[in-house]
Parts: sequence; C-alpha cells; structure tokens
Amino acid sequence: MTRYLLGQLLSFVVTLWAVLTLVFVGVRVLPGDAATVIGGIDTTPAQVQAIRRSLGLDRSLPQQYASYWSGLVRGDLGTSLRQHRSVDAILLQRLPVTATLAGLAFLLSLALGTALGLLAGLRPGGVADRAALALTTLGLALPEFWFGFLLILVFAVRVQWFPVVGLPSGGVLAAFPGFVLPAVTLALPRAAQIARLTRARVLDELSADYVRTARGKGATAAVTGRHVAANALPGVVPLLALELGGLLTGTIVVEQVFGIPGLGLAILDAIGARDYPVVQGVAILAVTIYVLVNWLADLAQLLADPRLRVS
Amino acid sequence: MTRLRIGLALAVLVVGATLLGPVLTPYDPIAPDYTAIYSPPSAAHPLGTDDLGRDVLARSLAGGRVSLTVALSATALALCLGVAVGITSAGLGGLGDTVLVRVFDAVLAFPGFLLVLLVVTILGGGALQTVLAMGVAGAPIYFRLARSFTRSELRTDYVLAGEALGATRTRLLWRHALPNFAGAIWVQAASTAATFLLVEASLSYLGLGVPLPTPSWGNVLQDARSYLTQQPWAALGPGFFLAAASLAFQFLSDGLRDRLDRRR
Repeated sequence: MTRYLLGQLLSFVVTLWAVLTLVFVGVRVLPGDAATVIGGIDTTPAQVQAIRRSLGLDRSLPQQYASYWSGLVRGDLGTSLRQHRSVDAILLQRLPVTATLAGLAFLLSLALGTALGLLAGLRPGGVADRAALALTTLGLALPEFWFGFLLILVFAVRVQWFPVVGLPSGGVLAAFPGFVLPAVTLALPRAAQIARLTRARVLDELSADYVRTARGKGATAAVTGRHVAANALPGVVPLLALELGGLLTGTIVVEQVFGIPGLGLAILDAIGARDYPVVQGVAILAVTIYVLVNWLADLAQLLADPRLRVS
Repeated sequence: MTRLRIGLALAVLVVGATLLGPVLTPYDPIAPDYTAIYSPPSAAHPLGTDDLGRDVLARSLAGGRVSLTVALSATALALCLGVAVGITSAGLGGLGDTVLVRVFDAVLAFPGFLLVLLVVTILGGGALQTVLAMGVAGAPIYFRLARSFTRSELRTDYVLAGEALGATRTRLLWRHALPNFAGAIWVQAASTAATFLLVEASLSYLGLGVPLPTPSWGNVLQDARSYLTQQPWAALGPGFFLAAASLAFQFLSDGLRDRLDRRR
C-alpha cells in the first residue's frame, strides 16, 4: 500500500513537471514580443531592450526556465503587463468567483447525474430510464453556450428571475442570483455524462452473482439497490474528478456568455491584450488543480473500493 | 439500430442542407440588407434576419459548411495521427513505445479545452489553426485505443501463424490487426466529430477560432449574443443546426457501438 502510494506520488510529480514545462514552452512561443506589447509602436529599440531586460527576457532560455521554477516554488507568478499589479493578486481576486460557479455546477451535476443514473440503471426501460436517455442525449448534443442563451431568453428576459449579464453587486448573497443560470448551463452536459456512466456501471453490477444471490434470499429491491449503488458508484469517481478539475477552465465560455468576472474572463482578456504573464498564471493554476484533483480521485477510489487495495 | 438510422438520416439532412445552401436560399450570407434589419420569421426569411438584415437561414447554412469542414478535418487529423503512432508504438515495443506513451499521457494530463485554447492562441486564429489545435488535442484517445487493440491482436494465434508463414511485421500490423479493431475507431470518430463541432463553435464564439466575416456556427452565435434580447431568432437558427449536427454524430456513434456489441 505505502509502496503504491509512493509510486502514485512520483507519477503526480512527474506529470505536474511535464505540464508546467509545456506551459512555459507554450507561453514563450506566443506571437508578439512582450516588450513591444508594453511599449507600444513608438518605442525605440533602446527602450525595447530596457523593457526586455527588466522582464528578464534577454536571458538565455535555461536561465528563464530556472527563474520560472523558482517563482513557482515561491508562489510568485510575476507581474501583469497591463494592470500594474501581481498576477497572484489577479488570480486571488478571480478564483473565488470561478470556484463558486464551478462548485455550484459540480454539486448540481453530481446530484442530478448520479440520481438519474441510479434510477435509470435499476429499472432499465422504465420512466426514469427514458427521462435519463432524453436528458443525456440533449446534454451531450446541446452547445453549452447556446443552452445558456435559451436560459437567458426564458429566465432573464421573459420572466426576469435572474440578471441577463454580470453579477449583482453588494456581497456574496446579493450576487447569488447571478450564478444560477451559468451554473445550470454548466451542469447539464456534465450531469448527462455522469448519468450515462452511472447507468452503465449499475447495469454491470446488476448482472453480478451477489445480486442474484441477494434476490434469491428474498432481499427487497431497496436492499439490492443499496448494495449495487455501493459497488457501482466508486467507478464513477474518476469521471467526477475529470469534471471537477476541468470545470476551472470549462467555465471560460459560460463566463463570457453571462459576463461572470472569473478566471475565464481573466484569461480571455489577457489573450486579447497579449498579457502573457496573466495567461501563464491562469494556465498554471488551472493545470495544477486539474492534475491534483485527478490524482486525489485515484486515492479516493482506492479508499472507497477495498478490492483495489489488494491488487 | 434505430439510433444508427436516426443519426444517419439527421446527418444526411444537415450536411445535405448546408451543401445545398446556395440553392435553398437566394440570399447572400455576408452582404448586408439594410431594408430588412431584425425581421421576424416570414415567408421571405424563414428564420428571420440579423442586425445587418442578413438572412439567418443563409448564414446558418453557410456557417455549417465551415463548421462541419473544420470539425470533420480535425477528427480526421486526430484519428490518422493517433492511430498511425499508436500502431507503430505497439509494433515497436520497448523504449520507443514507453517514450511515446509518456508523451501522449502528458498531452492527456491537460484539461482539453485549455489545451486547444492555448494552441490556437500560439498559432493565431483561423480555420486551419483550429483544425491543427483540435487534431493534436484529440490524438491521444486514438493513440491509446489503437495501441491497446494492436497489443492484444499481436498476442493472437493468427499473428503467430502469419509470422510463421513469413508475413512482415508491417503487413501484420496494418493489413491484419488494424481491420480487426477499425469498428471501435469509427465509433470513437463519430463521437469526436460531435464533440469537435461543439469545441469549434466555442472557440469561434470566443473570437479565437474561425474569424469573421467567414461565417461559422460559432462566430454567427457570437454576433447574435450582442443583440440576443432584441433579435433572439439570430441565435436560435444557427444554434438549432449546430445541435442537430452534434446530435446526429452522437447518435451515429451510439448506434455503431450497439451494432458492434451485438455482433460480439
């Protein structure tokens, strides 16, 4: 067990190193020299050189790579080229917004997806199964942002329960209505995927010998259902991790549709303004959390399913 | 089986309509018509017009040609790249195989949409760049599928017999192993096409994919967002076509898989 965990930790570190190095390389091949971006078109070559030196862009790539890592280890992600404040400050300001949105969407998709998947799987061909099929089909095929348009047209324009764009100001509670429609938009396709997998896992379990034995001994549907759920649900955990980890960047389009000032809008604005330290900072944060969540999910699955610990 | 038929019918309908676009509507999808701004659906404009009086149906069909071309080309690229390297990797074995597995694992360790977004930003927007970005991000799935299928095929008796008869490794891999798992690859390809349609639409919606004035489902919807409350029709038309196309490929994938399962 300890050996296995150590191996897992090693693969986590290697993966993290690989993806963060990819981000470093990616940001350095972006078009447009950061120095000319800051200076504008009227800068003289001497001024461009001065800016390059102050940003550390005149040093060799290995030197830049070393300072990239020393910054990462110290938690210093550099300074925005446009906003005259540290990338850390921008991320700290934007992260809570995206985390709230992602958290709401995740809880919604988890509740809806597993409930529908269990109901559908336990009674294949029943009403719940048909409802689940309709929802999963729609959820997988509907363009996320277009579904957002429809929600805006119905719930913000026709009945005006929620704002059309942006978050209402005045604290967390006042802002809450602004999160509802984007969270529902994000939750639908994810609930669809979770329901699909849960249903398939439940159907697999139902054909197991222990279910036949339990039924033979006269166990009620509720008892069998509980055993089936306990065995089927751990198999859904890796997908949940993918969804949760992916939500941090999955919100980009939806933040744009609903005007939610989170990390998604931050990276889009930064791409538009060629503010590469901010692009890099958001990418580093998103990728690190993605790798971390997936790694934790492997551990959680190990804890939830004793059979995996034996092998 | 029914899903396969519905998917096939829907795909023929949507693809056919976009290809026949110029015949189906007399309007230019790009030229403005200031006498018909924000028209509701009518006999002349079945899906209404947008802020410049352009016919929404004409723009949906023209946008569909671009979006379908981009999504299907990217699927083809991901498939060819992933399958070719996957089969080669399984055939190589040893160190070469390990290195290739690690490389594709690193790509998979990225959240998908962020990867496509960053690659498109690096390459600069455009239809070709979008195809490249999605093709690279989509390749690892095919690599994994092709590699694991090839490895199990290589352990079968017929491969042993083929080797005894003097068949070359290349021949065994490409002529004998590949056809045995081609079905599973097609199932994945249809599903990838459905996903890529949505990814292209998202990218173009953000203004990072296919640039205006060339219409694509994504950038037409980007336009429509800014006057959504004045003219919802401009968003409903292209979104409906996009959803139908994505649904068609999703059904094709499900239907193909059911059919393969039954045969087993």
